[in-house]
Amino acid sequence: MIIDVTVNGVQRHLKSRSGDRLVDMLRKELRLSSLNADCLQGRCGKCLVFMDGRIVHSCLIPAFKARGGTILTFEEIAKNPEVNDIEKAFHATHTQPCPFCHTAKTMVIFDLLSRVPLPSEEDIVEALDMVSCPCGDPIGLIQTVKLAAELRNKRKFNREA
Amino acid sequence: MKLSEVFYPQDVEEILGLIRKNPDILLMAGGTGIVGSQPSRTIQLPEQVASIAKVQELRKTIRTEQFLEMGACTTFTGILSLAPASLPDPLGAVIKSIGNRALRNIATIGGNLCSRSRFLDLWPFLSCMDAQVEFRSPSGTRWASVGHLCGEDNRPLIPPGSLLSRLRIPHYNYDFVYYRKLGNSLYPTADSAMFVCMANIVRDKVEDFRLVFSGEKAFRLKDKEMSVSGRKTNTPKREIRGLVAEYKKSFEEMELFDSRPFAALLEDVFGRLFL
Ligand code: FES
Ligand code: FES
Repeated sequence: MIIDVTVNGVQRHLKSRSGDRLVDMLRKELRLSSLNADCLQGRCGKCLVFMDGRIVHSCLIPAFKARGGTILTFEEIAKNPEVNDIEKAFHATHTQPCPFCHTAKTMVIFDLLSRVPLPSEEDIVEALDMVSCPCGDPIGLIQTVKLAAELRNKRKFNREA
Repeated sequence: MKLSEVFYPQDVEEILGLIRKNPDILLMAGGTGIVGSQPSRTIQLPEQVASIAKVQELRKTIRTEQFLEMGACTTFTGILSLAPASLPDPLGAVIKSIGNRALRNIATIGGNLCSRSRFLDLWPFLSCMDAQVEFRSPSGTRWASVGHLCGEDNRPLIPPGSLLSRLRIPHYNYDFVYYRKLGNSLYPTADSAMFVCMANIVRDKVEDFRLVFSGEKAFRLKDKEMSVSGRKTNTPKREIRGLVAEYKKSFEEMELFDSRPFAALLEDVFGRLFL
């Protein structure tokens, strides 16, 4: 079947079978390298995308459910200045994620800051729960997100001023 | 690979038309339960599937003085975005404890209640809260108590060939709410279960006592609940021990679960309710 869906701002007609997962359709048809399918259970976060404005695990979604929808992947999200803030915060707090979860952590922090400009620790922990990382420093990451929020708000405020 | 036919009904009438033609069609809202429980790369689906998550009628939320009504395709995130005051206690906290945010963005309340393989997290709460669900089928519409979505074999009983369209939760907060989740995985395992107890304390008496333990099967005894309701909170310890023993005995006789965790939780509940 053909799935009509807007991916990263471009209207696409993607080939899929009824049992395909969204992550597989996006990888196969569009070769989006930011996406990976690892756990297939909504744990690792390597398949996170924004679907109709909400962050979701694309491994948990049958491809056919994306019909008529809007998908944003890291390739598009990375163009936002917010991602630069997040990168700077990773560096400053020495919490640079490994290549396996870098995209996923950036996506969840991006999602959090666009919903909650000044997140509490509880908000941060809730957001980071979307990415399983057995090796990272959870306390350090909380500082990272707080700093990213600060940089973002400062940049936005300065621009508006 | 067996391919399925996928439909995109626009409204409830179209869904009912599809059910009329094929009562076994799979109605998929979020689909997290169906997809997440399959380890294979390709998702196994029945011959026909209807994607119903975007049907607007199934996503409406209405709040009246008596109840909160939600369309079955309301996502958990959608529920959490309601004003906290419109959510009866402890629904918000329970929903927040399910999965992670990305999962809650797609999982729906209808999907949680329509699981045929086991009772998921919300059923015991909604059962205690006397919530009602609307089922629509080609032959008509009927309301049922959430508690009745349990068959004589104590397993989930979802009427075949019907659509769970709405959920109604009375605005009623209990003075005493106690719950414990057994098992801590993202997806339930054979040992996962939920223990829920609610009651009111009115003039030193325990009223409206209700207690549900559910996992793959469900345990709830209305006659025992009635024998607890109406008792003074300072009922003599000996009597309370007798009640607990009776409850435990009934539980063991039904052979639904390992009785040890249940017994411990039961004692904890009674220890808190009766001084
Ligand atoms: S592959 Fe989707 S969360 Fe791991
Ligand atoms: S998995 Fe990447 S830092 Fe832990």
